[in-house]
Amino acid sequence: MSLAVPNGLDNSVERPGTRAPLVLGESSYHSITEAVCKIAENPPSKLWVISFLVAVHLATMLGLCIAYLFYTGVGVWGNRNPVFWGWPIVNFVFWVGIGHAGTLISAILYLFRQEWRTSINRTAEAMTIFAVVCAGTFPGIHVGRAWLAFWLAPYPSLNLWMWPQFRSPLLWDVFAVSTYATVSLLFWYMGMVPDLATFRDRSKNPFRRAVYGVLSLGWSGSSRHWMRYEKAYALLAAFAAPLVLSVHTIVSFDFAVSQVPGWHTTIFPPYFVAGAIFSGFAMVITLMVPARAIFSIEKLITIRHLENMCKIILTTGMIVGLAYGTEFFIAWYGQVTEEKFAFINRAMGPYWWAYWTMITCNVISPNIFWWKKARTTPWIMFVVSIFVNIGMWFERFVITVTSLSRDYLPSAWAYFEPTWVDWAMLIGSFGLFFTLFLLFCRLMPIVNMAETKATLAKELHMAHKDGH
Amino acid sequence: MSETKPAPKTVADGNTVHGVVAEFSDVDSLLAACERVRDAGYTKADAFTPFPVHGIDKALGIKPTVLPWIALTAGAIGTCTALTMQIWMNGIDYQYIISGKPYISLPAFIPVSFELTILFASFGTFFGMWALNGLPRFSNPMFTSPRFDRATDDTFFLYLDAKDKRFNEEGAKALLGDLGGAYIEPVVEDDSPKKIPSFLLIAIAVVIAFSMIPALVVARMRVTKSSSPRFHIFPDMDFSPAKDAQQISTLFADGRAMRPDVPGTVSRGGLDWDVDFQTGIDMEKLAQVDAPRARQLVAMMQSDTEVVEADGEVAGEEEAVKEVVEETTEEVQADEPSTDEPSADEPASEEPAAEEPEAEMTEEAEAPAEEEPAAEETESTEETPAEEEPAAEEPAEEEMTAEETPAEEPAAEGPSEEEPVAEAKTEEPEAEASKPEAPTALAPASGPTVDTTPWLTDNPLAIDAAVLQRGQQQFNIYCSVCHGMNGRGNGLVNQRAQRILATTWTPPSNLHDATLYQDVYPDGKLFGTISNGVRKMPGYAAQIRAKDRWAIVSYVRALQASQNASLEEVPASQREAIEKKQSEVKAELEKAAAEEAAKAQKTAT
Repeated sequence: MSLAVPNGLDNSVERPGTRAPLVLGESSYHSITEAVCKIAENPPSKLWVISFLVAVHLATMLGLCIAYLFYTGVGVWGNRNPVFWGWPIVNFVFWVGIGHAGTLISAILYLFRQEWRTSINRTAEAMTIFAVVCAGTFPGIHVGRAWLAFWLAPYPSLNLWMWPQFRSPLLWDVFAVSTYATVSLLFWYMGMVPDLATFRDRSKNPFRRAVYGVLSLGWSGSSRHWMRYEKAYALLAAFAAPLVLSVHTIVSFDFAVSQVPGWHTTIFPPYFVAGAIFSGFAMVITLMVPARAIFSIEKLITIRHLENMCKIILTTGMIVGLAYGTEFFIAWYGQVTEEKFAFINRAMGPYWWAYWTMITCNVISPNIFWWKKARTTPWIMFVVSIFVNIGMWFERFVITVTSLSRDYLPSAWAYFEPTWVDWAMLIGSFGLFFTLFLLFCRLMPIVNMAETKATLAKELHMAHKDGH
Repeated sequence: MSETKPAPKTVADGNTVHGVVAEFSDVDSLLAACERVRDAGYTKADAFTPFPVHGIDKALGIKPTVLPWIALTAGAIGTCTALTMQIWMNGIDYQYIISGKPYISLPAFIPVSFELTILFASFGTFFGMWALNGLPRFSNPMFTSPRFDRATDDTFFLYLDAKDKRFNEEGAKALLGDLGGAYIEPVVEDDSPKKIPSFLLIAIAVVIAFSMIPALVVARMRVTKSSSPRFHIFPDMDFSPAKDAQQISTLFADGRAMRPDVPGTVSRGGLDWDVDFQTGIDMEKLAQVDAPRARQLVAMMQSDTEVVEADGEVAGEEEAVKEVVEETTEEVQADEPSTDEPSADEPASEEPAAEEPEAEMTEEAEAPAEEEPAAEETESTEETPAEEEPAAEEPAEEEMTAEETPAEEPAAEGPSEEEPVAEAKTEEPEAEASKPEAPTALAPASGPTVDTTPWLTDNPLAIDAAVLQRGQQQFNIYCSVCHGMNGRGNGLVNQRAQRILATTWTPPSNLHDATLYQDVYPDGKLFGTISNGVRKMPGYAAQIRAKDRWAIVSYVRALQASQNASLEEVPASQREAIEKKQSEVKAELEKAAAEEAAKAQKTAT
């Protein structure tokens, strides 16, 4: 039941004629179960407790800020004429983008039979859900009277006597993001049911057993169930793949359908999707590199996984860089005065610091991944992933704020200044994200055990054949 | 079934046996066993594995699932729902006009249709899969064996169901044993109590009962009537405590319903500057001379909000005037039979009906209507000579002092005076020539109606170089088009009017005309002219701020002085340069004269 790996823990070397293993060490089905389940079963480490306390406090700060916002009004933000889409929308697009890598890993890579996704897809999907929770918060509280946000829904209202306006990208956005959140949740939960059954069957504590028993819906591992389950999984993956592309496309419509110089460009949908994947993979690395060290699952989430993600970051980073260049080219080639100005203003105007932060983090920093040494050294990729996260936040800031602060009428120009509430909410949203993520790490199977075992079975089968 | 009975895992009790199960430790032996079982004719065999085993469907003869069709149907329902919803809501029931597009604009409906298709198909897949699998199912005979816990860990189970036609307990056990299965066991009925524990039932009942409370409260409120206002969780400013002005409010700490102006802001029409500065008129004096006009001006400048201190003083003096006027009118109307004052006033105020708006500005409605005729009289008749004398004298005195003080402060005066002087120097002789005529021009300028307005005699601004430069800039923008850069009244507009022989054109004044000097035309009056216009000239109050109009006044004075200044008035440091230039000009003139003389001689010869 074990698989000897000749080259130790390094499976990033391609050996002609053989497939590099995706599960390392003296692995067996049971050792995978043990490795994953003990994360949730052992008492929490000090590091986890400290991180959780910090995250909970930041999340509480977000909650208090929201309460303050509701009590006082949206004037507590820095949103002022002409920049009415300030940080709340920047944060919204940032978090939605992060979510997309999770779906990409779980759905698109699944459809392409990229088996290296198996040990990271669960965490990535969880990241999607929690990122969408953070993302959904911001437009929800940005509507002004958040207690009337249900007016966005098409229901026969006796107060309004009217229906929503279905030709507005903002309403498309409501449908896109809520569908995305729902489908991601279904996908994530469905993928977890067999592993929750494992948790149930290992539980000694009757309460735990009851809770996991209910959550796993009486999963028994029947082959007939597995057959339908796998079909359902493939179908959901097939639905989620175009969905993830559509969601960020529609988010980009929020901008591109308007007339604002610097927003009104057809490049936005592909540019936003590439950016979303870019930022999402960076966030997966930000989460994975510490998590695999803390929970000692280096044998499941191997260097090879990380290296593949680095390659995707390098690729999407270049796509994003190309998009930045194309925007400038089209602004020049189109010869529209306002648009030309908008782009020159981005790079040279009062927000030049944001623009060049973005360029440095998004276009320059990923280039270190041309070197294999960087792609296989966790701390380097962790640092780069942080840079990319910062850069992608600034990308949304640059797009949103520079265009709004200086559009057609120079008399209406103004410089956007965030308030402390803006800052607290941005930081607090990270608190919310990490609170949910840390809870997930403690309570749920963070690696898809069933799929990893299936991958191991395939590798054992191969090894068996080779042995003959 | 019951708690007292010990678990009878006996094979003899045929009813409780659901089937037989055996364990396998790896995928390959399981698959081989599955194939053998299938070949033996079993159709209701099943395998339980910790992960999906590739090829087991074929090995067990499992038919493909109908799930994709469910997903397709659900997706199609989603598309139809979305299109129907959008077409009904935006195309038929509530039509929005957006960019002149048709009400049913399908391209715009694509995104939502796509999203709902995905959503419905996903729901169909998710719930369809669980429904086809018969899950959730928490009571399963398979779970009775503690060994079965490893089915989700690392052990593979092959199960032969008792419902199969070929099932025979002993035969099944033998078959599984032949296939290499370990721990072959019958699967018996789950004997754990099926009754739901009473504490759980009570807890559920309590939760349901409590969750009904809000619904019941709402339901009761729907059917009963109440005189108390509706309960709003979020009032949304629907019930903001609106108050009228002058009412007492409990909302604010100062108890006033009216709010004072926000610090640092000026309400519309409520500029907190003194009225003199805005009008160029000495209001205190005007109140003595012409109280209604003063009151009107004050009301116009300060609208209705803030009452500045200066206004209060004026109002106090107005009271005296008003009382006198009222007394006289009462005497006149004494024989009229009216009982209350307003009705008594109406017939008397028929003539000046147009003045009624003024009445609203003042505190007492009846007073101005009666005052107006009296005021007009004073303007034209009695007081005129009495007031004119001081008005004419004062400016003269003040002008003297005003000119003396700058002389004491050369730093302030130097830059302000020198530039215009230098510019206009070549025209000096003409200006000097016109100066002696100035006093005589006084009477014709005033015209038949003599101006009794007590204009401010000097500029309220502290004049320095910056003010003069500002005045010059504003003058060049607004005034020079007609009056010319040098103020001689020959700006571009005038030149054009002359050229096209415009018949209705009134030529702009020459600002160097002696009738416009400060001694006869006080600064305040010049300010008033800039503000309100004169003859064909429009008022510039709406375009130029009061401060800038005063700056223009100062610049006009500088322009005038530039035509009349003697060398002694120029700062000592500048005199040399001027003298030098003067001599240069003189030399040039002489040279030119000499040349012309030479030419004349030549032509003569």
